[in-house]
Amino acid sequence: MNILNNPSLVEQLAASYALGTLRGGARRRFEALARDNAGVRAAALIWQSRLGSVAELQAQAAPSPAVWTRIQNLVNAEKQATAMRAARAAAEAGAARAGGGWWSSLGLWRGASLAGVAAAVLAVVTGLNTNGQLSGQVQALTVKLSAAPDIQYVAVLNDDKSAASMLVTFDPKNKRLLLKRVGGFQAQPDKSLQLWALPAAGAPKSLGVLGRDPVIRLTAAGSDVREVPALAISLEPLGGAPAGSGPTGPVLLKGSLIETTQ
Amino acid sequence: MKPESPDTQLIALLDRVALADESALRELYDLTSSKLYGVAVRVVSNREWAEDVLQEAFLNIWRIAADYKATLSPPMAWMVLVVRSRGLDFLRRRTSGRADSMQELDDVISDTVAGDSPNPMDTTLASQQALALHDCLAQLEHKQREVVSLAYLRDLSHGELAEQLKLPLGTVKTWIRRGLEQLRGCMARFA
Repeated sequence: MNILNNPSLVEQLAASYALGTLRGGARRRFEALARDNAGVRAAALIWQSRLGSVAELQAQAAPSPAVWTRIQNLVNAEKQATAMRAARAAAEAGAARAGGGWWSSLGLWRGASLAGVAAAVLAVVTGLNTNGQLSGQVQALTVKLSAAPDIQYVAVLNDDKSAASMLVTFDPKNKRLLLKRVGGFQAQPDKSLQLWALPAAGAPKSLGVLGRDPVIRLTAAGSDVREVPALAISLEPLGGAPAGSGPTGPVLLKGSLIETTQ
Repeated sequence: MKPESPDTQLIALLDRVALADESALRELYDLTSSKLYGVAVRVVSNREWAEDVLQEAFLNIWRIAADYKATLSPPMAWMVLVVRSRGLDFLRRRTSGRADSMQELDDVISDTVAGDSPNPMDTTLASQQALALHDCLAQLEHKQREVVSLAYLRDLSHGELAEQLKLPLGTVKTWIRRGLEQLRGCMARFA
């Protein structure tokens, strides 16, 4: 018997297939038939979507509030992992660019600070060996150590097309926020860009108005940046939003802030 | 479609979730978590496990929201399918580890089918298609409806249903066949 001549049998098989009760050899034969015949395939798809609605009709129940907290934590962890990959890619792209400034590479920043420390340690050892002026060398070492950037926070701020646009690092020891433009993005001459800390709760807090240089240095207290999950850059009137007002213009760039120390 | 319909609202939220907008995920959760948790409870028959399933489903939605558009499904239908899949995965992982958990499930399920009170259906946020199915399912005897629903939700064969519901295999087969036949006649009017 050719089941294609029997529409009600095709329907019955399609319904059992979609319900899941068509099993084994019968299921495989039906699948083969559906691959060859668009009408059979359509019947299967219609039944799949009809029976899919069974799930839509189940009674509601309230999950515990902890479920959302868990979801939020997992989503944040994923976003941070993605931002880390973007930061690494941006740093590598910066380092690979011929003639690119040394500051464009996060890896080089870290390397430079380690090299600074090593040079200082070598200076101490040398100093001890030659003239024993220990206190002077310790003082020099302290100065060098505090001058070496100690980047503990990194953020990549993206626009809505997710093209990396601003690499932000924060060195809490030197209260130094460093922003590096990755794209050539600039505000119009009559506007300013302003950087904001976006706390988990409460209003955005201004971290400063950005100048037009490729690398922007701002001063920020550790408490302004620590435990802030994200940073954003908004477009503001020239000179920035009025003090205490919060952002007044659109947010152009946004990204998670990641603590780099373990 | 009217702009304020739940479908339009949910599609707009899924679009934003696809762009990694966390606040959209939160709104989506607020709107749908009770519904989706209800589905998870029915699939895995345990409230605590259902919370794990709900969590996995939302993480899944966060990751694959961009795929939603290509499915041509109503948004709620798509999301409940994600929950069902995660629920079935959960059960497979769980039953491969522990033989006695199947027994717990059997008890819960045979209670629901043996009971005389029909399992309530809920049409909150349901798609047009689900509303049609609701009307058709409402015409089935509640035990028939329950067997068809469980076969689908838990992806069970006739044999597994008979075993879990402690019913003769022939009875299960007859209920399912008649249930599907009645649905076919009824749903054809909505096609």
